[in-house]
Amino acid sequence: MRRPWDLSERALAFFFLVPAFLLLSLVAVYPAAHLFLTSFRELHLALGTQGAFVGLANYRQLLEDARFWNALRVTLEIVLVTVPGATLFGLALALMANLPYGIKWPVRLGLLLPWAMPLVFAGLIFRWFFESDFGIVNDVLRRLGQGPLFWLTDPILAFWAVALSIVWKTSSFVALVLLAGLQSIPREYYEAARVDGAGALQIFWRITLPLLKPALLVALIFRTLTALQTFDIPYAMTGGGPGHATETLAMFIRTQSVENLNLGYGSAAAMTLFALSMAVTSLYLRHLQATEGE
Amino acid sequence: MRRMGHRAWLVVAALLVLTNGTFPAIWILFTSLKTEAELTRTPITYWPAEPTLANYVRAFQEAPLPRYFLNSLVVAAGATILCVSISALAAYALARLRVLFAHALLLTLVALAMFPTATLVVPLFQIFTTLGLRNTYLGLILPHAALSLPVAVLVLYSFFKTIPKDLEAAALVDGCTRLGALWYVVVPLSGPGVFTAALLAFVNSWDEFLLALTLAPAKDMRTLPVGITLYQGEYLFPWPLISAALVVALVPVAVVIALFQERIVAGLTQGAVKG
Repeated sequence: MRRPWDLSERALAFFFLVPAFLLLSLVAVYPAAHLFLTSFRELHLALGTQGAFVGLANYRQLLEDARFWNALRVTLEIVLVTVPGATLFGLALALMANLPYGIKWPVRLGLLLPWAMPLVFAGLIFRWFFESDFGIVNDVLRRLGQGPLFWLTDPILAFWAVALSIVWKTSSFVALVLLAGLQSIPREYYEAARVDGAGALQIFWRITLPLLKPALLVALIFRTLTALQTFDIPYAMTGGGPGHATETLAMFIRTQSVENLNLGYGSAAAMTLFALSMAVTSLYLRHLQATEGE
Repeated sequence: MRRMGHRAWLVVAALLVLTNGTFPAIWILFTSLKTEAELTRTPITYWPAEPTLANYVRAFQEAPLPRYFLNSLVVAAGATILCVSISALAAYALARLRVLFAHALLLTLVALAMFPTATLVVPLFQIFTTLGLRNTYLGLILPHAALSLPVAVLVLYSFFKTIPKDLEAAALVDGCTRLGALWYVVVPLSGPGVFTAALLAFVNSWDEFLLALTLAPAKDMRTLPVGITLYQGEYLFPWPLISAALVVALVPVAVVIALFQERIVAGLTQGAVKG
């Protein structure tokens, strides 16, 4: 049955979708194409090069750049440490926040404040925590008869200080997503299990964890995406130092292109991060596709 | 006896979550109330020995904090309005109108908006320099609006799906036009969905750092995160000033959380989990 407004419905839908695609064309599609093309050019504004097409030269240079490999390694290490770290810590927070409280604001505040705080603010605060003379971390160590440790000037300690700060800051997002997942599990499941004599651990492994899987998956994917793009916290805490011990890919890209104005080279480095991120994004899209229709 | 133990555990768990989330902010508040002499004394003090507001006065004197605040507010408000209006139209079309390949279009929108910012910052830096959009509000509003597009579209998409179709159908039968039905039936019901999407978009823009640092670094165009982080360049790490500035910048965040906690929690999950 064809209704009289059918045609206008199509037209209306078209006009409603235009602005979104227009905005994304301007700030995502066109820039991505621009980035791709620039990565094949020699565009070094500080040297006044004109942007000649140089094929894969920028990529070849990347392969030989120890600083690039270091940034890639630091980035992957941050993913490997902070994604599981934030997921486990976030899960613990979510389980504690999901208890049957009479007053809900203390746990909500405890989860929302770190979530809503800009990453650089968390970075600055933790930089102060880890300060070698006046920081609270070394003060606690001193009271325990240890230390002082030079957190932000030792390459290995600096990495762990940055990783710990990232875990603290990002676990709140994980916890909020998991908390919603926990709250969507029907209470009857728990009651039925308890009637059948299941213990707390058994309930966690057999009921909570399997039913939490979709929420865990989303949290993991988002956390991996943001970890790959880590910039703010090391920028505020160490500036990438000491040396380049905490320099991530995102920092390397920005230094090359925005600070050194070597845009062709920076673009080639950005393309590698682009490919890494989009691989993870495709997982999320597949998840969205799978959950649609439910 | 068992009930008592149970309640004690509840209090312990609540305190753990609360302390973990608020301790860094509380510590920076204490820091901001200490004198510079107290801050460079070892062993360090925990409770401020002689609380003072001097750091706050200096933080306002030595950096244009109100200006940073205004910049953040204009950018975040602009990005929120732009993002939510665009997302609402798109989400409505995809959720309620007959569109070919609606689901594929939804996924395309989300995929495009999830292009990694850390890489787009390079071409945006070039393009906005050419267009004269660097160090302008519009130059930050546009990418910030796109940043929150996936969340906003997904929140609004699942919200529009919950409005009964019959309501619109009834309006159409009564002789309303499509746009009329949209304006008189759907818009009045969309308040909660729009508000949730707006909150998330606002926080995203308020917190964003990399784009703001790269596209608007001029001294009078810095947003709060950029302005406060760049304090360090001008002195040898002025902790008294930074701690005071951080507290000033965190107060609005805390107020928004206190007012809208339930809505934020609900929105975060709709945007991410459900799809």
